Amino acid sequence: MFEQRQRPFRLIFWTLVLIGFALFFVPAFIIRPFRYQSPGALHLALVFRQIAPIGTIVAACGVLVVAVRSWRGASRRQRVLLTLGSLLVIASATMARLNYFEWMFHPVQQPGFEKADDVKLDAGEMVLTVTINGEARAYPVREMAYHHIVNDVVGGVPIAATY
Amino acid sequence: MGGRVLHFYLAGINNQNFLMRDRETGTWWQQISGKAIFGKLKGESLELAPFDELSFGLWKKESPGGQVLAPVARYQKKYESKWEDEVLKLPVPVSFPGTALKSRDVVVGLVVDGEARAYPVDTIVKQSPIQDRLGGKPILLVAGTDGKSVRAFLSRIDGADIELFRKSDSKDFALIDAEGSSEWNFKGCAVSGPLAGKCLSELAAIKDYWFDWRNYHADTSVYRH
Repeated sequence: MFEQRQRPFRLIFWTLVLIGFALFFVPAFIIRPFRYQSPGALHLALVFRQIAPIGTIVAACGVLVVAVRSWRGASRRQRVLLTLGSLLVIASATMARLNYFEWMFHPVQQPGFEKADDVKLDAGEMVLTVTINGEARAYPVREMAYHHIVNDVVGGVPIAATY
Repeated sequence: MGGRVLHFYLAGINNQNFLMRDRETGTWWQQISGKAIFGKLKGESLELAPFDELSFGLWKKESPGGQVLAPVARYQKKYESKWEDEVLKLPVPVSFPGTALKSRDVVVGLVVDGEARAYPVDTIVKQSPIQDRLGGKPILLVAGTDGKSVRAFLSRIDGADIELFRKSDSKDFALIDAEGSSEWNFKGCAVSGPLAGKCLSELAAIKDYWFDWRNYHADTSVYRH
């Protein structure tokens, strides 16, 4: 009798764990540096990422409710599984809120600038350059290859320099 | 975008071309095209600001009062001076066997009136100046005296096509037009003769790896001569 009462809960529990995990993991798996991404796969990843911040929280709440409700009647082994499932979906909910791409390539918060004459750069170093309304800027490729994006205003025009 | 300033951050990578999002709307943008591919502003395009990729020495000569992005002290040690060699070792996510170039050959990509063409940087440096036609228009590609900086222009002045040649007796960068009357500099401006002060309009020359350029420009041709 007891076992049968638990079964639907178990199904709901693991379905929610799977959904929560997939919402984080599928985009993370698709959007990897060295793997080919078809347009369809990329679209799927972006859809998942869009739903993920809310979706993972809903899944995590559901998982926790089921875990708490089943805790009393659960065996030791079942409690370990309930804990693991809960942790997995909580971790997914956390990751869905973090931009792990910025862990590797730290953004430039406030770009600073130096006069061309004061800069110690080899003459042969490559720079990305723009001149807008008479204002000239250079972004050394060596720095851009690390930060990738710099938001800036040049000659009154907002630009994003990318590399 | 529509009178609103957007601020971008790195948010993903797609076949080694990055994806960015803006803090204001959360829309996803593709780096190479500046197009919004997903989210609120999907379908919109950022305007490409006229830019160059030059050696510091050359730029400094052209823009003595210019300003240079300062290194961020915390990360300065992580900037790679040999990053290009490092990148060469990385695998490519997509390749195009049977095409004229190798995946990591560096090309300058041009699009004129919808026609795309890739110009291997090595070829431009060797043959500079290159005269070509793209999208039915006359194109000029030149390499600077540093052997690295490359520019592309629409080779037309006041509606008339113009051909420029390397000035043979000059050590510095100098082009001369067919009439031999005006001399032109690396900025595409005439510095002497009857056309002095006139400048060719510059084209956006995107420096890219062949596989990446080809991946986003399926119908691109490759310059060969």
